[in-house]
Amino acid sequence: MKADFTVDASGLTCPMPIVKTKKAMNNLEGGQVLEVLATDKGSIADIQAWAESTGHQYLGTKEDGEVLKHYIRKASEGEEKEEKKYDKTIDNNGLKSKLNEDITIIDVREPAEYAFGHIPGALSIPMGELEERLNEIEKDKDVYVVCRTGNRSDMAAQKLSEKGYHVINVVPGMSEWDGPIEKSDS
Amino acid sequence: MKVAIIAANGGAFDAYKVFNIATAAAAADGEVEIFFTFEGLNLIHKEAHKQLPMPEGTEHFKEGFEKANVPSIPELIEMAQDLGVKFVACQMTMDVMGLSKEDFVDGIEVGGAATFLNYAKDADISLTF
Repeated sequence: MKADFTVDASGLTCPMPIVKTKKAMNNLEGGQVLEVLATDKGSIADIQAWAESTGHQYLGTKEDGEVLKHYIRKASEGEEKEEKKYDKTIDNNGLKSKLNEDITIIDVREPAEYAFGHIPGALSIPMGELEERLNEIEKDKDVYVVCRTGNRSDMAAQKLSEKGYHVINVVPGMSEWDGPIEKSDS
Repeated sequence: MKVAIIAANGGAFDAYKVFNIATAAAAADGEVEIFFTFEGLNLIHKEAHKQLPMPEGTEHFKEGFEKANVPSIPELIEMAQDLGVKFVACQMTMDVMGLSKEDFVDGIEVGGAATFLNYAKDADISLTF
C-alpha cells in the first residue's frame, strides 16, 4: 500500500500509537497519506476515534502478521467546503445507472483510498499524476471523474476538459457511494 | 474538546490513569489541564514521580508493565507537556506540605480551587482520579 509517510509505533502501548500518529501528522501536507505501524490491538479502535475527533480521514487497516497497518489521510484546509466550479456533474445514482455502459471512470483519490474501496473498473489516477498519465485515458469515451467528496474530481474535471475530454464530475463521490465496490491489495 | 482533570491520588496506577488520558486527549488536539492536589502532587514532584508506589499486593504487575513496554511516568510527563497539557499544582496543599514550585517538574503552574473551576466550567469532559 502506497503511503507518503510511515510512522512505526509497533511494540508500544496506549497512548503511544496515537501520540506518534499525531506528531507524524504534523509533517504531512493536506491530502497526503500516513501509514501507522502498531502492534497494540486497541489501536484499531483508537486510530479511528482519533481520526474522527481530529477531522482526518481514516482509510482502513491491514493486518500483516502481528503488525497492524493503519492508513490515514490528512485533511486539507477547507476540504469540506463545497466550491464546485465545473458545471457538468452527475450524482452517484446517475453514475450507478451507467455502470454497464461503455464509459471511463477515473478515481483521482490517493492509491491507499482507492485500495480500500473503489467502483469496479475505475482507473486509479491520483490527482497529482493526472497530467503525466493523460495518455491512459481514451478520448472518444465519456470520462466520469470521482473522488471522495467531489472537490478533487472537480479540479480534475476542469483539467481534463481543457485537454479536450468529454468529462463529467461525480458528486458527491465515494463518501456516499452505495453501489458496487471492489478492493485491491496495492 | 476541552478536558479538565483532577489528580488527587499519588500511586503509580493513578499516574498512568491521569497521564494516559491526558496525553491521548492532547494528541487528539484537545485542550487539557490537570489540577494536582493532595497526594496527587506526588505525580509531578521532582523526585517522587520517578518512583511512585504500586498499590499493595500488585507489585507483581511491575513485570507486566515492562513486558508490555508501557512508557515510564517521567516519559509520559514529558510527552504530555510536549503536547501542551497544562499542569497546575494546588497552592493550598503545597502550603500544608511545605512544598514550593521548585519541588516540582519544570513548566508547572500554581493555582487554587477557583483557578481550576474557572477552567473546568465549560469543559467537555471532567475527570477525577
